[in-house]
Amino acid sequence: MDRRHFIGQSAAAVGLLAGLSSQTKAATLQKAEILVIGGGYGGATAAKYLRLFSNNTARVTLIEPNTSFISCPMSNLVIGGSRTLAEITSPYDTLSKRHGIKIIQDSVSSIDPDKKTVTLASGKTLRYDKAIVSPGVSLNFKSIEGLAQANKDGVTLQAWKAGPETVALHKQIAAMREGGTFAITIPEAPYRCPPGPYERACQVANYLKTHNPKGKVVILDANQDVTSKGALFKKVWAEQYAGIIEYRPKSNVVGVDAKTKTLKLEVEDDVKADVLNVLPQMSAGEIAIKTGLANSNGRWVNVNFLNFESTARKDIHVLGDSIQIAPLMPKSGHMANQHAKVAAAAIVAELSGWEVNPAPVLTNTCYSFVNDREVVHVASVHQYNAAEKTFKTVPGSGGLSPAPSTLEGVYAWGWAHNIWADSLG
Amino acid sequence: MQVKYLKPILVTSALIGLSQWSGLSFAQSADQLYKRSLAATCANCHGTDGKGVVDGGMPLINTLTSEQMLTQLKAFKSGAREGTIMPQLAKGYTDEQLTTIANQLGKKQ
Repeated sequence: MDRRHFIGQSAAAVGLLAGLSSQTKAATLQKAEILVIGGGYGGATAAKYLRLFSNNTARVTLIEPNTSFISCPMSNLVIGGSRTLAEITSPYDTLSKRHGIKIIQDSVSSIDPDKKTVTLASGKTLRYDKAIVSPGVSLNFKSIEGLAQANKDGVTLQAWKAGPETVALHKQIAAMREGGTFAITIPEAPYRCPPGPYERACQVANYLKTHNPKGKVVILDANQDVTSKGALFKKVWAEQYAGIIEYRPKSNVVGVDAKTKTLKLEVEDDVKADVLNVLPQMSAGEIAIKTGLANSNGRWVNVNFLNFESTARKDIHVLGDSIQIAPLMPKSGHMANQHAKVAAAAIVAELSGWEVNPAPVLTNTCYSFVNDREVVHVASVHQYNAAEKTFKTVPGSGGLSPAPSTLEGVYAWGWAHNIWADSLG
Repeated sequence: MQVKYLKPILVTSALIGLSQWSGLSFAQSADQLYKRSLAATCANCHGTDGKGVVDGGMPLINTLTSEQMLTQLKAFKSGAREGTIMPQLAKGYTDEQLTTIANQLGKKQ
């Protein structure tokens, strides 16, 4: 057989197969326009796995305003000065180069669920068959008097969405007067990353220990007690940061006086500090609320846990921090990545005319650095419960580290490199 | 720390090329999708399709055969093998799920 003849036959064979597949299940999958809104741990993973699970046949567009991905997990180490922002930043272009995802660098100004269109800030309108909305959280600055203006002026910082504020907060801590106080305030749960504020307190204390030994860290927590890894954190504070970290539970901050750098509490006396890291109440990302998806107390989005479709609007799937969580499900990057895979598989199955997996599984792994080397974890496995239509943790599974260790410090970086590659690589 | 991706670009390109021939090399079915999505619960720590970031700090699993992987997973689940997170995670999966994962991610002999 000469080469040309061989190529001709192969092309005919491929054509025949393509013809067959278009008459059967793959047609809808290949024709559907899938728009992914938000390129965080949820959205980026969803875009990638829609391509993987469809054998690169689904048409996937990712809409994300930022040019690169900056990880929230690990960003407390940048605030504590032991790592740089560059070390926790990944490019988006691998998703287009390696996986054929169309990336539009823009933000979404509105979604019309009736017309099934998305309007971008640039004014362009896109049609969708399936929309995946993964916008993270919005920070409700108005829930604390004076906070919106204080944050605008840079008197207080949130640094809860990793980026320029992460670096700015480290600079404020580094420039703090000798013996000054850093205050971090925690809103009532649920909020993004339950152990995050306690890890941050450790990182700041770890920095002060060397650079400003008389400096103090005050944690003002609106919750009754430490919301995650409580016993582990308290032990570390007593053993490694005695005289530096002061933890105050049931301390709900209701106001900020930017001029005097004073925090006003609901019940207790005012607290004055030198560096203010005020975390307000959180809710679903702005676009989810604006689209009318936040049907759980107006704050979070109820979803069908088999496919993460919003219970408010058909063909809009919502992932990550924006959803009304199942019992014991944290709002974490790891969890958003896992939501994305369940949603991607369900969408591919639905568009292929197959039954959606009736028994999905999710895991969560969360590492917290207690200094620049030692780490503690919490882990869980969540199996879908058909009778209760939710995810439930498996009795006897999951758990915590017995104590901080440098081995888990190595694994924590291993986790980071792998989840960044899994979501974006 | 230098991080290298296990999958060379040439191999990736070849795979993407092959996958265009849908129905030839990557016949997809509902069953296969289920298995891939279950195994994807491991990918956050151990890499997409079990191909972990080399020198990234996490133990690599794609050196194990499916049989070896299942033995390790069951040892984590029973408590015979100690560890940090794996004993806690393995206890959350049924034996059938662990078998599916090992078959999906393990090296084929």
